[in-house]
Amino acid sequence: MRSKRLLFLSIVLLAAAAVCIFALLYFRFNPAGTQVDENEKIYSRYYAMICDDRNSSFWQRVYQGMTEAAENSDCYVEFLGADLNSELSTQELMDIAISSVVDGIMVLGNEREDMTALIDKATDRGIPVVTMYTDNADSKRCSFVGVSAYSIGKEYGRQILNAVTERDRLAGEDVKRDNKVTVLFDNSNLLYDHNLIISGIGDVLSREGEGMVFLTDSVAVDDVSPFSVEESIRDIFMQEEIPDILVCLSELDTTCAYQALIDHNLVGSVYILGYHDSEKILNAINRNVVYSTLAVDTAEMGRHCLEALDEYIESGNTNQYFSTDVTMIDRNNVSAYLIKEDGDEKKD
Amino acid sequence: MKRKIKSRSLSVKVSGIFIIANLFIFLVDLMLLAGVNRMFTEMEETYRENRQLNELSNALDSVQRSMTEYLDSKSTDSLSDYYLSEQRYAELSGQLDKRVTDRAYDRMERNISYMSEDYLSEVALTIEAKRGRNVEKYRIQYEEASKLHGYIKEYIRSLNEERFASNSERYGILSGDFRKFEFFAGLVMVVVFFAGAFIIIRITSILIYPLQALAKSADEVAGGNLDAELPEIVSNDEAGRLTTAFSKMMVSIREYIEKVREGLEKERQMQEKELMMETHLKDAQLKYLQAQINPHFLFNTLNAGAQLAMMEGADRTYEYVQTVADFFRYNVRKQDELVSIENEVDLVDNYIRILNVRFSGDIHYESQTDERLMKVKMPGMILQPIVENAVNHGIREMGDKGHIMLRVYKDGDRVYISVKDNGKGMSLEDIEKLLGGEWKYEEKKRDSNGIGMDNVCARLKLFCNRDDVIDIKSEGEDKGTEVIINIPYTSDQE
Repeated sequence: MRSKRLLFLSIVLLAAAAVCIFALLYFRFNPAGTQVDENEKIYSRYYAMICDDRNSSFWQRVYQGMTEAAENSDCYVEFLGADLNSELSTQELMDIAISSVVDGIMVLGNEREDMTALIDKATDRGIPVVTMYTDNADSKRCSFVGVSAYSIGKEYGRQILNAVTERDRLAGEDVKRDNKVTVLFDNSNLLYDHNLIISGIGDVLSREGEGMVFLTDSVAVDDVSPFSVEESIRDIFMQEEIPDILVCLSELDTTCAYQALIDHNLVGSVYILGYHDSEKILNAINRNVVYSTLAVDTAEMGRHCLEALDEYIESGNTNQYFSTDVTMIDRNNVSAYLIKEDGDEKKD
Repeated sequence: MKRKIKSRSLSVKVSGIFIIANLFIFLVDLMLLAGVNRMFTEMEETYRENRQLNELSNALDSVQRSMTEYLDSKSTDSLSDYYLSEQRYAELSGQLDKRVTDRAYDRMERNISYMSEDYLSEVALTIEAKRGRNVEKYRIQYEEASKLHGYIKEYIRSLNEERFASNSERYGILSGDFRKFEFFAGLVMVVVFFAGAFIIIRITSILIYPLQALAKSADEVAGGNLDAELPEIVSNDEAGRLTTAFSKMMVSIREYIEKVREGLEKERQMQEKELMMETHLKDAQLKYLQAQINPHFLFNTLNAGAQLAMMEGADRTYEYVQTVADFFRYNVRKQDELVSIENEVDLVDNYIRILNVRFSGDIHYESQTDERLMKVKMPGMILQPIVENAVNHGIREMGDKGHIMLRVYKDGDRVYISVKDNGKGMSLEDIEKLLGGEWKYEEKKRDSNGIGMDNVCARLKLFCNRDDVIDIKSEGEDKGTEVIINIPYTSDQE
């Protein structure tokens, strides 16, 4: 009887002690809030990617292509400026990248002198620079990854012909009249690429557009001050003479142009040849607002950038030029891209 | 160890329990306190990184300010300020993590660190150029440095905000945890309270157990049960000593009672002996009396008298003497053995005959007997004393009007013998006295054969082994008395 009682007593004591010890251990070794993410990965190389518009889906996809390519190598690519609160210009970001002594820079090039100076400064400090999409040929950049501006021009030229043919067919009139083609280009791309595109378009039109009259002209879009792109494009539609065909050479231009088209109720009378295959643009093609768009293989572009830098760092040398494929998307094949886009969205 | 504990005094034990319970509670409190302390430390740590960043930002500003001041005034104060702040900033920025990880914080820290190095060298060049009065150069350098200052500030600000956001989240988690801890602490305290109370109650009851057992035994003894079980001695403390003393006391009392009981027993035995001796004395007296009258001599004498009366032709005398002889022979012989009813009836006949000779035929005697019952056995010397009683107390004063009737009959399995007289009768009290055995035979009374009614009753009851063997009926004063005895009818009439 007594021993039974003692046994019960010791069980109670033990249980109480166990509760206390458990409490102690729980709060001693499992304090919340201090769980450090121990599986952080340390990289030996650090590349900075710099462009003018981080939010555009074009650059997002290029960046995605890069990080996918970087997954297997020991380098980290940062979309420089994404973690900062204020928006910095490409030049400022270049300055930061150089000061921060990154291992490599991938920058959206342009032919301006200050860009050349920055690229040269970086190269002098031992940081290899790759220009992407548009080049700065005069600088000491180690490589350029982009599309051939001339071939882009030729593609656009073919699309212009298609568009005109279609318009005439729909109108049912056999009258050959002047076709006003306007090419929008950014100030920053002023010098080199733009001319190549224009000449590419011109070559195709003169060679294949027999019996058609094309009045080609270029309009510089002010992309230096903020929100000015949209205003510039609207200005075009406020003019007396509205172009028949509008060629846009950036994603933002395309978006602004088709929005303006809708707002001015000009769908059907102005053909927009867009750039890039963002969801918005693809939807616009699907709805017949945009005639066609030119899609660059962003993943390939990203991969090439990374390869160029890696190769340069490892061997001191790399290809001067990496070409990226382009695809023309119009109503006929847009559905395939829409499905792909949908899949990508879900994946994100 | 166990024995050591058992031999401690009760107060030490009780104090020990409370000290242990308090110690237990104290330890638990200490643990909880440690938990609270840890939580507070965690909370303090939460915004440490933000404070560090603010410090870094201040140091950066002070470098920039002292440089600007020096460029403005070229004062020694600002130069020494510059050196101090430059050192401080170099120290702080040197602590930054330079690793490249997939976490934005780390990369930002790394960039701040490298940019700071760049900045400091630009600032040094600016100061150098200022000293060398190279106006053009220090202007350009100053612009470079200011640009970098702006970038670093931007980075620090962004990092600070990021950190603040994530730390706020962490703070939220921590405070949630603090709430959980609070609940848990409450739970532990409740458990400790109940466990403590339980343990104290149990241990106290174990300590009190000997006292309870002692109290129970004492109660039993107080209730009169001196043979109550003695409590077991389980400890050597005050309770144990009390139990020992109580047990010793109980043993002593029992021994004393045993002694008293033995004394009483001896006294009783002595009284018994005394009584026996008295009985033997009486027996001896009787034997002495019996020895004085030799029955054979009496009978021979009476026979000689009878023969003489016959020879002289006195028939009645002969008959009388013969009857007297038979009567006494029966008296001498049959007192202690079973006889038949016939013998008893004959004796009564003889007795009446003798009395009628003595009192010249005053008594009218009538007997109605069933011949079939005459062989039934009964104790001897029963009827004669009843008849003698009826004569002496009932009809003696009545002269020739006295009448005695003897009847023997059977009812069911019992044989009834009734002696009825028409004498004085008896009062109800006397009947009850007689039947209750309170009537004492007066030994010294003359004119009797020495056997009283109480003797008759006692023997009949013994013979039949039941109480209702004799009944006395009397309808009142001068209305006679009837004494009815019943005996079992035995078929064995041998």
